[in-house]
Amino acid sequence: MAETDVLRKQVPSYLAEAQMIKQGAEARVYRGRFLGRSVIIKERFPKLYRHPSVDEKLTRRRTAQEVRSILRCRRAGINAPVVYFVDYNNHCIFLEDIVHSVSVRDYIVPVQATVQGTEHLQTLAEKIGEILAQMHDEDVIHGDLTTSNMLLLSKAEHKNINLVLIDFGLSYISALTEDKGVDLYVLEKAFLSTHPNTEAIFERLLKSYTSSSKKAPAVIKKLDEVRLRGRKRSMVG
Amino acid sequence: MHRMHDLELFPEYTVTQLLFKDLKNAAELRKMAVNSEIRGALINPTMIVDAFQILVAANKAVHLYKNGKMKTRSLYSEIIFNLSPTNNISEAFKRFGISDTDNAVYIVLVHNKEETLNVDDIIAKVDGQQIDVDQVSELTDAAIVKKLYKVAPMEERCGSLLDAVVCRMATKDVA
Repeated sequence: MAETDVLRKQVPSYLAEAQMIKQGAEARVYRGRFLGRSVIIKERFPKLYRHPSVDEKLTRRRTAQEVRSILRCRRAGINAPVVYFVDYNNHCIFLEDIVHSVSVRDYIVPVQATVQGTEHLQTLAEKIGEILAQMHDEDVIHGDLTTSNMLLLSKAEHKNINLVLIDFGLSYISALTEDKGVDLYVLEKAFLSTHPNTEAIFERLLKSYTSSSKKAPAVIKKLDEVRLRGRKRSMVG
Repeated sequence: MHRMHDLELFPEYTVTQLLFKDLKNAAELRKMAVNSEIRGALINPTMIVDAFQILVAANKAVHLYKNGKMKTRSLYSEIIFNLSPTNNISEAFKRFGISDTDNAVYIVLVHNKEETLNVDDIIAKVDGQQIDVDQVSELTDAAIVKKLYKVAPMEERCGSLLDAVVCRMATKDVA
């Protein structure tokens, strides 16, 4: 038992050799090598401000949920990075490194400026709406939908848009329309604040979402309700 | 011809893979594995899509071994168990381990860098033709793999069969 404790407390050696690319409040993301491939390693580091046994349970649960959501998405044909290995001791997830891609956020910013850009953005919005509809039909709630969490594989820009969803860290399984509505609300807020003057594009996204799923109308109705509820909204009346 | 790979996460361990077709003595080899004359995992290659699949199973096995969390009794049986998409141990052995009538075998060995491994010793025991592990795709039964791992046609839109297989292997403890 002492040996396992020691293994748990020390920082895994493989992280020392990997290159950290991002640090968030919940996890650190690294790029490293694994079985001859380039991988992304997501480490949910221990939170010292939490009680240790609570931290362990919560971290383990979040790791499991993330991995479960990814598998569920892939099974439904939604592109998400392949999980290669999960180290439940150190709460590290080893994921496929998606190379040759650009985040939707970084794609929209320059394209928005051009004239032909708006048409491409319409097609992109349609594709996103379609994929989110599929995801929600699988009862997967992403939890952190932003344009930075969607990657475009740089293949044929105009024809087949290949989208990969990443960062399932806050995701969970739920059939509730409320949860799906909130998921879309999160995206709407993130989308409109990151990309000003894109209301029409987001409208297109929602239209595409509606036509891609039978359960969509109920979700959109919930979205309307959630919008009225949001921050700085008067609940009077 | 045989493939050796040092596990990045456990640099003191090396995984050696050998592949043989036209196998004549499967029953004999199985007996040798049981009585530890051959210290390795003898795997049915028709279930294997790529050498990477084996490495993923071996890596997970070594990780669990080092943490005392293996589900089976030995490192080699753990490798075979890790290949399976389910948590049923005997089913895993039945489907992924070799049987007496198989005509090909995929042998996986895991050893410490310090131990010298006599590969020729093992090759001598096999009555079959050794081929490169990259050629395992010639022996793969993709239809059975898809059925066993329950790969939906939808899934092939977002990745290869190998991706589907490896993802399930990695997530089966919580799926």
